[in-house]
Amino acid sequence: MSMLNIGTSALLTTQGALSTTSHNIGNVNTEGYNRQRVEQGTRLPNFDGGQYFGSGVAVTSVERLFNSFLSEQVRTFTSQEGQLSTFSTFASQVDDLLGSPELSLSTGLQGFFDAVQDVADDPTSIPARQVMLTEADTLANRFNTLDTQLDSYNQQVNLNLDAAVKEVNLLSKGIAELNQVIIEASASTTGSPNDLLDQRDQLINELSAYISVSIIEQDNGAQNVFIGNGQALVVGQSSVDLSIVPNATDVTRSEVGYGPAGINVSTQLTGGTIGGLLSVRQDVIDPARIEIDALAAGMISTVNAQHTVGLTLDGSAGGNFFEPTGTPTPDAGNIRLAIIDPRDIAVAFPISTTTTATNTGTAQLEVNAVDGSDVGFDPLTTLVSDLTFTYDNANKEYIVGYDGNTTTTRIKYDPATDSGKVFDLSALSAPHTNFPGANTPPLTITLAGVPNDTDAFTLSNSTNGGFTSVGDNRNALALAELQVSKTLTAAGLPVSDPAVTDPATRSFGDSYGILVANVATRTHQADVGQKTQQGLLDQTNLRYESVSGVNLDEEAASLIKYQQAYQAASQIITVSNTVFNSLLNAM
Amino acid sequence: MRVSTSYIFDQNLTAMLNQQSELGKTQLQVSTGKRILKPSDDPAGSVQILNLQREFSVTEQYLANADKAENKQAIEEGSLQSVNDILQRVRELAVQGLNDTNTQNDRTAIATEMNQLNEQLLSLANTRDSNGDYLFSGFNSNTQPYQTINGAYQGDEGQRNIKVGSGVLVETNDPGNAVFEAAHVSTEISKTVTSGVSNSNISIINIDGGEGLSIPLTFTYDTSVTPAVYIVDDNNGHIENIPYSATDSGLNVDLSTLNSAYPKMTVQLTGSTPVNTDQFTIQTTTTTQSMFKTIGDFAAALTSNQVGANNGPNNGDFLTNISESMNTVLDTQAKVGSRLNSIENQREINDGISFNMEKTLSEVQDLDYAEAISRLTRQTTSLQAAQQSFVKVQGLSLFNFL
Repeated sequence: MSMLNIGTSALLTTQGALSTTSHNIGNVNTEGYNRQRVEQGTRLPNFDGGQYFGSGVAVTSVERLFNSFLSEQVRTFTSQEGQLSTFSTFASQVDDLLGSPELSLSTGLQGFFDAVQDVADDPTSIPARQVMLTEADTLANRFNTLDTQLDSYNQQVNLNLDAAVKEVNLLSKGIAELNQVIIEASASTTGSPNDLLDQRDQLINELSAYISVSIIEQDNGAQNVFIGNGQALVVGQSSVDLSIVPNATDVTRSEVGYGPAGINVSTQLTGGTIGGLLSVRQDVIDPARIEIDALAAGMISTVNAQHTVGLTLDGSAGGNFFEPTGTPTPDAGNIRLAIIDPRDIAVAFPISTTTTATNTGTAQLEVNAVDGSDVGFDPLTTLVSDLTFTYDNANKEYIVGYDGNTTTTRIKYDPATDSGKVFDLSALSAPHTNFPGANTPPLTITLAGVPNDTDAFTLSNSTNGGFTSVGDNRNALALAELQVSKTLTAAGLPVSDPAVTDPATRSFGDSYGILVANVATRTHQADVGQKTQQGLLDQTNLRYESVSGVNLDEEAASLIKYQQAYQAASQIITVSNTVFNSLLNAM
Repeated sequence: MRVSTSYIFDQNLTAMLNQQSELGKTQLQVSTGKRILKPSDDPAGSVQILNLQREFSVTEQYLANADKAENKQAIEEGSLQSVNDILQRVRELAVQGLNDTNTQNDRTAIATEMNQLNEQLLSLANTRDSNGDYLFSGFNSNTQPYQTINGAYQGDEGQRNIKVGSGVLVETNDPGNAVFEAAHVSTEISKTVTSGVSNSNISIINIDGGEGLSIPLTFTYDTSVTPAVYIVDDNNGHIENIPYSATDSGLNVDLSTLNSAYPKMTVQLTGSTPVNTDQFTIQTTTTTQSMFKTIGDFAAALTSNQVGANNGPNNGDFLTNISESMNTVLDTQAKVGSRLNSIENQREINDGISFNMEKTLSEVQDLDYAEAISRLTRQTTSLQAAQQSFVKVQGLSLFNFL
């Protein structure tokens, strides 16, 4: 009878092996499937006549070929790759935005300043002034568009975060449920519920594409899942939901909340889509917005500061060129033109120079700049009285008369050494004598040439006796100069603001260039990092698959092997039948 | 190492997709001709491109400004050339009119032409540019600089600058008072004679050179010596005597032959009843005056035939003054010429900069077609190879033999 038994056991065992092989073949394309293998062993031998006789074969276990170390590595790299891939996707959008010629501020700035120069070339030309307004409007619109676009990226981050959090909640629920089934399955038998384990590992893998997780295996077969700084997402059969909560200071920003209380855990989360979304917002979108807002505010402040000192075509005070200036806080979203009439562009300086007709020398006096930073500055009354310069050849100095000053103000000027020298009248110091009292002309002048004794100049307000200096383009030249001059600090703040004390190190164009460079570098880094992580992930997957993946050739070979074994086992039954029959016939 | 079947699939697929995306990028590069498609392709390069483009278009704007500046200066130069031509003609007419052989009618005719020319000068001073701005009124470009022949300058001293290079500003206008107004000398004689008795007089026949007299020249009649003399004193240490008695009336004296320190001036002494201590002082006053007024005054003098020996303006002064005006115009023409030169120089510099920048820009952003095309070919070949080998490898299975 033992022969029949052995044959039967061989048939059953081989059937198990065949069905496991079929299972492998069937699941060749199942995501997360780990190949299984039947482990078989001899049954307990029979002791008969002082000898042990083998009693056949039995399945000892159905094993899952699985390497938990490789599995964890796959998860880690999936998280990292997911983070960088999301980061790179969003950063590329910002990168494209800033680099596109249609939206680039660089082209906008160029167009604007070209138009300013055209106005400087023909200060009375209304068409040139109109073009300048149009270009300024285009520039403001580019700022607005960039702001809107960056804002929409923030919205996309919010939407993606929302979708990712929902997905994470589904996955963590699934893991918790599988934990329960696995605990129950494991409790009732010694065999391991391989397919359930596969499903759970697959869910955890999917989870790790959204966020970095760490796994702790429990004795009862459950796996606890933790995120961030140890926030438990799944404990045994229960899971904790993540949620979207608004940022405490800016409700337009979504943050990730943990648990029923919705505690903001955004800063602690890394890896995966969620980590990528949070880091791209923090490292690319936010800095870009801050930089663009600062640039817009800087432009408003700097251009206004220059425009305010000038006079319009009608001789009225220039006022602001861009808005807003105080409330609301100026930024890229709200920058707009403050004037609509091309005649209101302040192209002229508020000061006119008169050379006394009886001068015999070759001296010249030129006004370089008017400083309008004083509170209450009004270009119509830049000077409280005429400002006179009379040369004293004996002492090589100009005697300056202003506002009936009692103490004489002197500017030392030796034509042999000082021709072409620039003097800031509001900050004269030894060897020159300062203006007495509070009234100091807010002017910077250049003195040149060789004056003779008593040669004189008079500076007066252009508006004295009616404004006629419509052809004066000095303020337009000063505005055009803002294109190339360094007007912003390293932090992007305008030095035209009296509260800013840092030195100017950037022009508008530089500032935009730095922004583009920062975003481009970040994007480039993320691209490179993503490729690296992808490579690591591929390699790890290869190793993981070499352990756990199904190879059809191998399965085909197994199929042949077990088929032959099965045929052989069937022969055992046949032979045992023949043997039994021959015994019966003998009776 | 054993390889799983699905992994072979995935890997091959991923490899092909990657190759496709690389191929797509190369194809885009070839079709746009640009090496850098977005800033992150080459962060350093793309910032360099931004800067170069900025510099490039700033330079282009300088070139455009130079065109405008040149245009404005060309208009001014044209006007000044006409002014110069007219002044030449005025001077010729003046020389002709001063000739003693002219009758009053001749002089009136000359004066008529001179007035005509003066009107032309005035309209040239009021030239407008294509923008309707007065060329010669400084910043007051909507104000007509000279409204009438005798009118004062209505403009101001403003000189507009146009930026034609980094830090290079070129003036594009000259205020009218620096072009059409010049030093105006008039030599006058004041006399102190015993009235009712003396009929002495001194008049200027000719002034050559016209440098004027910076210090007064006095003639004092002295009868204490015999014969009586006019003592000439230039108040600068040079004293000479001219013998003169009642019968000498009409005597012409070339002062420079008396003393080389004296001006080249011929005076005529008249009068039959000179009295001791009769005194004459010849003095030059210099003011600044518009050429229109100078010419107008002279034409008026011609019309009334008042250019003779005893009448002002005298011949030497006018020719001096018209020369002075011509010099001022020539000076301005020279300035315009030098500005045009510096615009031209700056344009050459800018063209050079612009060319170099375009070259650098092209090096940074433009595609190396030879390299790109060979890359495209290589990528196409390897994608085809991947596709073909994928199909071949996928055909290999043990199941085919079961």
